[in-house]
Amino acid sequence: MKRRDILKLAGAGGVLLLSGTAAAGDTQGMASNDDALGVLVDTTVCIGCRKCEWACNQANALSSRDSKAFEDKSVCRKQRRPVDDAFTVVNAFDGRRSDGEPSYMKIQCMHCFKPACVSACLVGALRKTPEGPVTYDSWKCMGCRYCMVACPFQIPAYEYSDPLTPRVRKCTFCAERLGEGKKPACVEICPNEALTFGKRRDLVMLAYSRIRQFPDRYVDHVYGENEAGGTSWMYLSPVDFTKTELPALNSRPIPEITETIQHGVFRWFVPPVLLYGILGLSMISMKTGDQDKKEDDNGA
Amino acid sequence: MKRKDNIFGISAVITIVIGLAVAFGPTADLSAREMPKVNCSQCHSCETPTAQNPCLTNCPRMSQVNVAGRHDLSEAPKVLILNKLVNQYGAVHFNHKLHAEMAGMNQGCTTCHHYSPEGHISPCSECHGKEGQSANLGQPGLKGAFHRQCISCHREWSHDTDCRICHMPLEGKSTSSGTTIDSTDIVGISHVRLVEPEKKVYYTSYKGKPVVTFFHKDHTELFNLRCVDCHTKENCSGCHDIEKPVRAAKSEAEVHAVCSGCHASNSCETCHDSREKPAFAHGSTGWPLNQYHVKLECRGCHPTGKRISRLRADCVACHGSWNPQNFQHAVTGLQLDKTHAEVDCGDCHRDKRYDVKPDCSTCHDDNRSPEKAPPGHYVKTRG
Repeated sequence: MKRRDILKLAGAGGVLLLSGTAAAGDTQGMASNDDALGVLVDTTVCIGCRKCEWACNQANALSSRDSKAFEDKSVCRKQRRPVDDAFTVVNAFDGRRSDGEPSYMKIQCMHCFKPACVSACLVGALRKTPEGPVTYDSWKCMGCRYCMVACPFQIPAYEYSDPLTPRVRKCTFCAERLGEGKKPACVEICPNEALTFGKRRDLVMLAYSRIRQFPDRYVDHVYGENEAGGTSWMYLSPVDFTKTELPALNSRPIPEITETIQHGVFRWFVPPVLLYGILGLSMISMKTGDQDKKEDDNGA
Repeated sequence: MKRKDNIFGISAVITIVIGLAVAFGPTADLSAREMPKVNCSQCHSCETPTAQNPCLTNCPRMSQVNVAGRHDLSEAPKVLILNKLVNQYGAVHFNHKLHAEMAGMNQGCTTCHHYSPEGHISPCSECHGKEGQSANLGQPGLKGAFHRQCISCHREWSHDTDCRICHMPLEGKSTSSGTTIDSTDIVGISHVRLVEPEKKVYYTSYKGKPVVTFFHKDHTELFNLRCVDCHTKENCSGCHDIEKPVRAAKSEAEVHAVCSGCHASNSCETCHDSREKPAFAHGSTGWPLNQYHVKLECRGCHPTGKRISRLRADCVACHGSWNPQNFQHAVTGLQLDKTHAEVDCGDCHRDKRYDVKPDCSTCHDDNRSPEKAPPGHYVKTRG
């Protein structure tokens, strides 16, 4: 954080022009906070009622659609993605239920511990808070939409419909509600309590205790425990996660590669020093070359 | 001497104090109260649970005390109005009796009441808090508990999760009860009485003897089997699935698993035959029942165990308590005259063998026989 502030000051001095990405969010200093909050999504319990979609719509004042608009369950069969006026969607998948019914998976921002969107953001509009949520500040955002490209879950959406003040839109983890001591709106409304809200550390333990208790019901994998360096939202599934729409990711944080390269290259102001050094050296060598030539000319 | 007195006094005081402590201290409290017979580890995962950290294990706790068999369906409430959480939808009028009847084919009361301590059946709200998830994240709140319990079965057979299947409409948001429908509308609706078949005949792939005749009623009545003893994995969708009217046949292994619980040591021919087996006739055991015995319940003579055990054929095995005072000899068709009525049974029926001809020679020297000189007169027997 401190380094970023220093760099921002330096940016004002013009050095920023040369060390282009130095102001980008730095996720390397972030450690997974033990007390960070999270949500465990149990897809074997979810019934696809879409109440979470409606509650999200209400809590974030996303659209004027009323509760009836969220009662049509057939839309779950389409593979929908979160969009600018729907931060979460519930999609059906084949969970191999004995009654032939589909299983359901709620999709929203995973609130990664080392978010690629935060890393990619040039201006620090996206921020990972120690409590868990990845928050967004539309005042800082300049609309480059690098976050949308960077996110491995393809979550951030953009208000293309608003030509004047478009914002990047994604699940906020109801950061404001959490500040008031409430649960996220989707968790609060879930009739089947398929969503469990709590400290992430406890949720991981809960997830594994469920797997141990009902080994036939779940695959032995808690998605999000390690994926992309760990996420605040995690999932339990009755089938292998490769058969769901969640992407297969290893435990390496997404920003790690880019940050390693960029932070390595730009460490110690190497590019400006190198640039001016080479310039200086070539100027000196050119000057001495000129002098030699003059001397040669004089001598001749 | 004085010192000795002192020591005696002190030891006496200590003894009294210890005695009082034992009599009125906490130990006395514990022994006075009837401690429920539960194992701590059924609920607590750690050695020393405290109020702050009870370290409760996750529900459902499969090892919990089973309430089935201790409570009768007639004790169960008929209709419950679930309105503690009325919010977006109205109350649910839950026909408890109807569901309890259906649960009889599943795991009985424990199908839903998965945790009930000794002595009573706990309603959902006793453990599941109204305020939602408790400190124990593994335990759903009351809302989650209700919904999971209902929806998991309902969606299996109706393939629908519409809220209005159970919830009454909420008339505006002003009424707290949230419903205008009278609960008497659903009182008295019962599950269709399941008619128990007399027998079932199965045609199997067993070579040579493919026919299995299963006497269903004999098994339930003779062996006192409850539905759930054999129907272990039935659920609502087995009968009610609206998309699958024809239920899938059980596999060979599944059927054998049910029967082999009792018939493990029997040969295949116990059940399999080339044709339909006749119903059980007592004569096939070598002891045809007479007019009196045929009226009795099987369990009247074969009382113990799941299996019907072979009884001794002599009368005193069962009727050992009969004597000239309490036995009406007329039921045999012979009314004893006054003299013979006072004679001990064994005097005529030698060695208490009632199946062989009585012997008169104990008292009479004239070689008489009971046919020629009956010890009374013949009467018409009842029945």
